[in-house]
Amino acid sequence: MANMARSFLQVAATEEVASPLRVVQIEGLVILKIIKHCKEFSPALVTGQLLGLDVGSVLEVTNCFPFPIREEDEEIEAEGANYQLEMMRCLREVNVDNNTVGWYQSTLLGSYQTVELIETFMNYQENIRRCVCIIYDPSKSNQGVLALKALKLSDSFMELYRNNNFTGEKLREKNLSWVDIFEEIPIKVSNSALISAFMTELEADSPVTQCDYDRLKLSTNPFLERNVEFLIECMDDLSMDQQKFQYYYRNLSRQQAQQQAWLQKRRAENMARRAAGEDPLPEEDPSNPIFKPVPEPSRLDSFLITNQISNYCNQINGVAGQSFCRLYLMKGLHEN
Amino acid sequence: MAASRFWTTPGSDSEEEDSDYDEEIENGGENADEPTPNRYLRGNNASDSDDSDGQKRVVRSAKDKRFEEMSATVDQMKNAMKINDWVSLQESFDKINKQLEKVMRVTESEKVPSLYIKALVMLEDFLNQAMGNKDARKKMSSSNAKALNSMKQKLKKNNKQYEDLINKYREHPESEEEKDEDEEDEEEEETDSEIEEDPSKIVMSGTEDEEDEEEDDRDNLTEAGWERKMSKRDKLMDKQFMKDPSEITWDTVNKKFKEVVAARGRKGTGRFEQVEQLTFLTKVAKTPAQKLEILFSVVSAQFDVNPGLSGHMPINVWKKCVQNMFVILDILVQYSNIVVDDMVEIDENESQKGADYNGTIRVWGNLVAFLERIDAEFFKSLQCIDPHTREYVERLRDEPMFLVLAQNVQDYLERKGDFKAASKVALRRVELIYYKPQEVYDAMRKLAEQSEDGHTGGESGEEPRIEESRGPPAFIVVQEIVPRKPTFPENSRTLMDILVSLIYKYGDERTKARAMLCDIYHHALLDEFSTSRDLLLMSHLQDSIQHMDISTQILFNRAMAQLGLCAFRNGLVTEGHSCLSELYTGGRVKELLAQGVVQNRFHEKTPEQERLERRRQMPYHMHINLELLEAVHLICAMLLEVPNIAANVYDAKRKVISKAYRKVLEASEKQTFTGPPENVKDHVMAATRALMKGDFQKAFDVITSLDVWKLLRNRENVLDMLKVKIKEEALRTYLFTYYSSYDSLSLDQLTKLFDLSEAQIHSIVSKMMINEELHANWDQPTGCIVFHDVGPTRLQALAFQLTEKLSILAESNERAIEARIGGGGGLDLPLRRRDNQDYAAGTSAGGRWQDNLSFGQGRQGGSTGRTGYSSGGRAFAFNQAAGGGYSRDRTGYRGTGHSSRAVRGSQMDSSTRMVSLNRGLRA
Repeated sequence: MANMARSFLQVAATEEVASPLRVVQIEGLVILKIIKHCKEFSPALVTGQLLGLDVGSVLEVTNCFPFPIREEDEEIEAEGANYQLEMMRCLREVNVDNNTVGWYQSTLLGSYQTVELIETFMNYQENIRRCVCIIYDPSKSNQGVLALKALKLSDSFMELYRNNNFTGEKLREKNLSWVDIFEEIPIKVSNSALISAFMTELEADSPVTQCDYDRLKLSTNPFLERNVEFLIECMDDLSMDQQKFQYYYRNLSRQQAQQQAWLQKRRAENMARRAAGEDPLPEEDPSNPIFKPVPEPSRLDSFLITNQISNYCNQINGVAGQSFCRLYLMKGLHEN
Repeated sequence: MAASRFWTTPGSDSEEEDSDYDEEIENGGENADEPTPNRYLRGNNASDSDDSDGQKRVVRSAKDKRFEEMSATVDQMKNAMKINDWVSLQESFDKINKQLEKVMRVTESEKVPSLYIKALVMLEDFLNQAMGNKDARKKMSSSNAKALNSMKQKLKKNNKQYEDLINKYREHPESEEEKDEDEEDEEEEETDSEIEEDPSKIVMSGTEDEEDEEEDDRDNLTEAGWERKMSKRDKLMDKQFMKDPSEITWDTVNKKFKEVVAARGRKGTGRFEQVEQLTFLTKVAKTPAQKLEILFSVVSAQFDVNPGLSGHMPINVWKKCVQNMFVILDILVQYSNIVVDDMVEIDENESQKGADYNGTIRVWGNLVAFLERIDAEFFKSLQCIDPHTREYVERLRDEPMFLVLAQNVQDYLERKGDFKAASKVALRRVELIYYKPQEVYDAMRKLAEQSEDGHTGGESGEEPRIEESRGPPAFIVVQEIVPRKPTFPENSRTLMDILVSLIYKYGDERTKARAMLCDIYHHALLDEFSTSRDLLLMSHLQDSIQHMDISTQILFNRAMAQLGLCAFRNGLVTEGHSCLSELYTGGRVKELLAQGVVQNRFHEKTPEQERLERRRQMPYHMHINLELLEAVHLICAMLLEVPNIAANVYDAKRKVISKAYRKVLEASEKQTFTGPPENVKDHVMAATRALMKGDFQKAFDVITSLDVWKLLRNRENVLDMLKVKIKEEALRTYLFTYYSSYDSLSLDQLTKLFDLSEAQIHSIVSKMMINEELHANWDQPTGCIVFHDVGPTRLQALAFQLTEKLSILAESNERAIEARIGGGGGLDLPLRRRDNQDYAAGTSAGGRWQDNLSFGQGRQGGSTGRTGYSSGGRAFAFNQAAGGGYSRDRTGYRGTGHSSRAVRGSQMDSSTRMVSLNRGLRA
């Protein structure tokens, strides 16, 4: 009984403190739909809605539907919202899960870490307690890898973002670095038993699939070139950001010097006043413009850029490693 | 007035005149010793009509009206006197003086009306009385007293002019008019006859009729008014001097001269008047020295005629000025004992020494300054006159005249041994000659010779007149000693050489610099590029030109522009471009060459600046054609840049030869639709597009379709040269752009493609190989170029770019940390930070350089390794068909990859260290 009671208590407690998201469980159907949508529009970036259920520490994604390609126009955006609602209504009528659990989007060489993504995420987060973003990279998938990622923002980051202060001090307090913005959640693909059985039936006799052939492709240059190009762009952005900071620090130090000078002057004055038997003047003067704090530029941008860079570097590293393997393999084959 | 009303029949509408008349009688009665002015009036009126009949009045109304006005003013003065009101008296006095002018003009007599004299006498008496009466003076109000004082001074000054008349009048107050009248007639006749005898009064006018005609020529009426009055006064002087020529002494002339000179610059002194007066004085000067002295004053008075800085001297005055200078030189040459000097304080009576005096006579004056001023006025007039009018051409014809004068002055100065001054004059001559190509020079020479014949005809009408006019009183006869006709050497170069060598020998720094620049310009004009370039380089003018005055800087710019054009004509593209590129960097060519004022949209010029700039402008005939200049500049840039762009596709930003050209190119590339070329830029851009594809024929056609080429003298040669250049650059561009698509390329093919001889192609391609621009070698037996594909791949190029970016990032990181460390301090911060920045800038530059170096090494290492491999690879390429490519690729990649990774690694190291340092600081 006591046990029971404790477990009830436990249940109550766990319900209050939501268990952290551990796994995103995606239906095979959803993955196929995403791949199809993203690949068809490949150079253009597309998005779509994820539907499913939130079960404890597992987020089940059971269905999805694509959004029409967004254009920078307010009217069309409003239409997009209508389309979304309409779609949800229709799906409910045919008895499909119609809980929004996040969205998916395609990306080009993993260049998804943008302010827009964070904004969208925050929007979703306001309505849905637990949501996820699935990123699919069609260009990478061409190399025979299923480039699918489930992402969410870290809690500490979200908190900071809500308060909108990305000053150096706050970041240090939270001990938040650029690595801690996004959290990647493992993806588990689940299929119904029927489908699994059917798949086994479908499986070909040969041990090699098309994917394996893709993996053996030796041309790595275009991919590397793209990555390096993106890296160069990131460097430019980062330099710009750095300049901003430099400018800020210059201003700050100038202001500090001014403040110091002012303070010394005021102290000397106070000494004189004290000697003359008068009340000293306050050592703070909020009306003085030199005490107005210089706004510190947000570090969000540089964090995101750093994220991007690390992403590109990882990709390059991965590709390079694989390429080396392949090249050695080829060499070995030739020698034989 | 009230009294007069009582006197006349009340209520009747009697005319004002009448009442005035009455009053005057009354006044006359009161003031016994002053004859009433109306008597004069009546006397005058009596001759035509007493009853003021309307009709008759019309006939002589102008004259009468003036007299009436005058007498009315006199009445006012009398009234003012009665109440002792000096303020109104003063006003009336001013008024009467003005009226006097009018009267004189209307009556056309040179005699002052006695009415006026009477008024003067009356005033003077009253003034003396007032001054005598001290008590009354004390009682006066302050304004009144002030007026009294100023009146006293004015009257004194004014009365001096009429001293004789006043004295005469005082002697015979009654009979004055009658006699006056007679005298007047007499004098009138006298002067008239004189004038008839002497029709060539150079000054302003002969008879009144003539003057009327002349008056029409005058620019504006007020001046004419002045002139008129002046000539009248002149005549007065005439009379003074001419009545008995024997009586004129040096003293009288000197006195008058001093008087006139003293009036210079004062308010109310007519400038033309002064010139006339002085000119007249030159005629009666007693000694050559005096004449010279006066002539100097005439010239400077002529300079004064135009007071503003912006306007120019009237052309006729200028011409007279030049003539005067000739006369001065004549005198100086004739009487070689006269020395002109402006340094020494000259004894006042120096000029008394006559022609037969043996010692040196010093006269104050500065020939060079006068000459320079005349030149400046000539320049200014050319600036002001619209260059598209006939007037401008006419004006340009005066140039030989000035050149002769300058030549004479220079000769004189050289004879006197004053070479310093002579070199200044020589510079003036140089500056008139240097921009003239031989053709223009010849034309000028011909014109001068022609006008020589015509001149003696035309000028003989003028010249002797001058002499003659001096003739009758002829105290000093000056023969024409100095040559009036120009003698130019056949060749402009010879003239330049003579002048310039004189300047180099004796001139001061600025003169020498300017002469040098003119020399450079002239050499460049004659297509002697190497000479003029050597002159420029030897003189080191490029280094010091920033410290010179603006007009010299403009001259420098002009010389550079001309040098650039010259280089282009000689087919020296690189030199031409380096001469011209600086002119075109700021987009302010017009301003730099002083060939038009540019309105800048972004910052408004103050009117002061604009005026200054306007004053610097070059006259139109000296302009360097801007379109030609632009075309030459852009074509030079194109010939250099197109192969350069083709050679450096990957790092386009690193090697820029001509920024201006790149800017134009970018702008034209941005255009979505390129129409047919319209201006110079369009043409060159169209040619560029063709050239980039190696299509030399089209490029050449587009360039030739420019119509600025007709400005070139040896157009055919230049265009031929250009064609060859375009072909060569097209070949280079073609090779750069497409060599990666070829394994080998036969010489025959290239000769066919580019219409160049085999030898030419061979030399160009070999040169490219030697300079390592083209990685290829000759295969002599087959006559082919075999290419090696060693240029960096796209990935490698990108990697270089990335490392560069990274190094920049690392540097700025370093700078940030330095600022951070230095930033904690106190007051010495700004200074230190500046130091830091400087240091950082230095290190960054150095660092970049080093990086470059290391990249170069890395690349070199990679490439050598690869070439080594590839040659090996080629050897057994037959065995390993597919793998060779890959492995070769890989090793190359590895080679470069290692070195760059090492660099990046070190950078990453430093950046991480910095971060940790940062943290440490913050913690």
